[in-house]
Amino acid sequence: MDLLTQPTLPKPGLLKPGQLKPGLAPDVFPPLAEGIEPAVPVPGYPNTWTHTPAQPLLRRPATRTEVAGPLDLWRKLPCDESNLAMPAPGRVAQGQLMHMSGRILDEDGRPVRGAVVELWQANAAGRYFHPIDQRAAPLDPNFVGNGRVRTDEEGRYAFFTIKPGAYPVPVKDTWWRPPHVHFSILGPSSLSRLVTQMYFPGDPMNEWDRILHSIHDPAARARLIARQTHPAEVGDGWLAFTHDIVLRGRHATPEA
Amino acid sequence: MPDSLTAPLPPSSQHTIGPFFPRTFFSAGDNDLTRLSATAAPSQRGETILLHGRVTREGGEPCVNSILEAWQADAGGHFRHPADPDHALADPDFLGWGRAWTDEDGWYSFRTLLPGGYADPAGPRAPHINLAVMGAGLMRRAQTVLFFPAFAPANAADPVMTLVPPGRRAHLLALEEAEKVEGLRRFRFDIRLRGTPEEETPFFDD
Repeated sequence: MDLLTQPTLPKPGLLKPGQLKPGLAPDVFPPLAEGIEPAVPVPGYPNTWTHTPAQPLLRRPATRTEVAGPLDLWRKLPCDESNLAMPAPGRVAQGQLMHMSGRILDEDGRPVRGAVVELWQANAAGRYFHPIDQRAAPLDPNFVGNGRVRTDEEGRYAFFTIKPGAYPVPVKDTWWRPPHVHFSILGPSSLSRLVTQMYFPGDPMNEWDRILHSIHDPAARARLIARQTHPAEVGDGWLAFTHDIVLRGRHATPEA
Repeated sequence: MPDSLTAPLPPSSQHTIGPFFPRTFFSAGDNDLTRLSATAAPSQRGETILLHGRVTREGGEPCVNSILEAWQADAGGHFRHPADPDHALADPDFLGWGRAWTDEDGWYSFRTLLPGGYADPAGPRAPHINLAVMGAGLMRRAQTVLFFPAFAPANAADPVMTLVPPGRRAHLLALEEAEKVEGLRRFRFDIRLRGTPEEETPFFDD
């Protein structure tokens, strides 16, 4: 794949009210199975003990306001940043160049078209370009480490980036986060909003990670781990990983 | 039940947004719900209002760099979304979505329209704004709903407000401030992520 041939959509226009066909967005939201959502608070993650609501969550019906969501968010959030590895001509981030791609699907396995996909990550030394990250690891002047794209007609997204480094969590009994990539996805419904993280296959640190293991269902954990594909699939200069993400929501009406 | 509902894919698990959600993701106007984009003209329908408040954790300490996302109906109580049977009546210049982050003292702010109420199959919905809070220490987003004290009869009949134990409902009411700002009414809505039942903001699950 050429660096410049990334999945892109035609210049998006504003959705007209008449284009809002039923089936454009999911309208059925079955309750989640046990073990998919993180168990809280998380041992070794002190902030979860002071920030997690202590009172039981109130289960509400999915009314119109929860089922609906902004359908033309790209007007507000520019979705044109997919190359994190090469911020400008002649500048290349340090680390192993990595092509990160996949599909955003709903619970029916349908592609979620036009979803906004935000990705952010640490640099190759395991440090974030963020004022809150003051760890004594080097910043890379050629790596900010965040991008935002919009999925195409098949629900695909793709980023060119570098493989992030691991880093220690600065708590009393320090533990390490394995290399991981953060994803934030804004789909067609408030209920399909998802913020998650993705891990790399075969890393022994995955088994020690407190955050990944807050997900108790082993199959749900496995679904957060990317799959490595042959580098030749994306051009020999890039490690290639693929990762599909499933948002909440089904369709009462089968797709025509 | 149609075939498409027989073999679902399990949804991906939520994780914390963490402390490092990039500041560079924010641009001017992200916390302004009244326009479709930073350069678009603001909506001409309804009353523009300001909303601000503090996000705090156990002990009342401020939450720094919390991410808040707001979502609401337009001034007429409509959504430009197929879930709204009257979406053709929705305000074409109103996005209804905005994002803000808290400063070092936990403060956030939004500019928006006073939302309209509407009839929902679940019951009559009072004017409200959905707020989701994400941040370090929150493994899932915390979802709450803001209501306005001026609509007391509608609030009392709202099918989400009535899920809240009566002693905690006041936490979901935004307070109108005495002074206008830029000629606009300003409302205050504080969010306490964790505390005693008397302190904590009610949060919802779907």
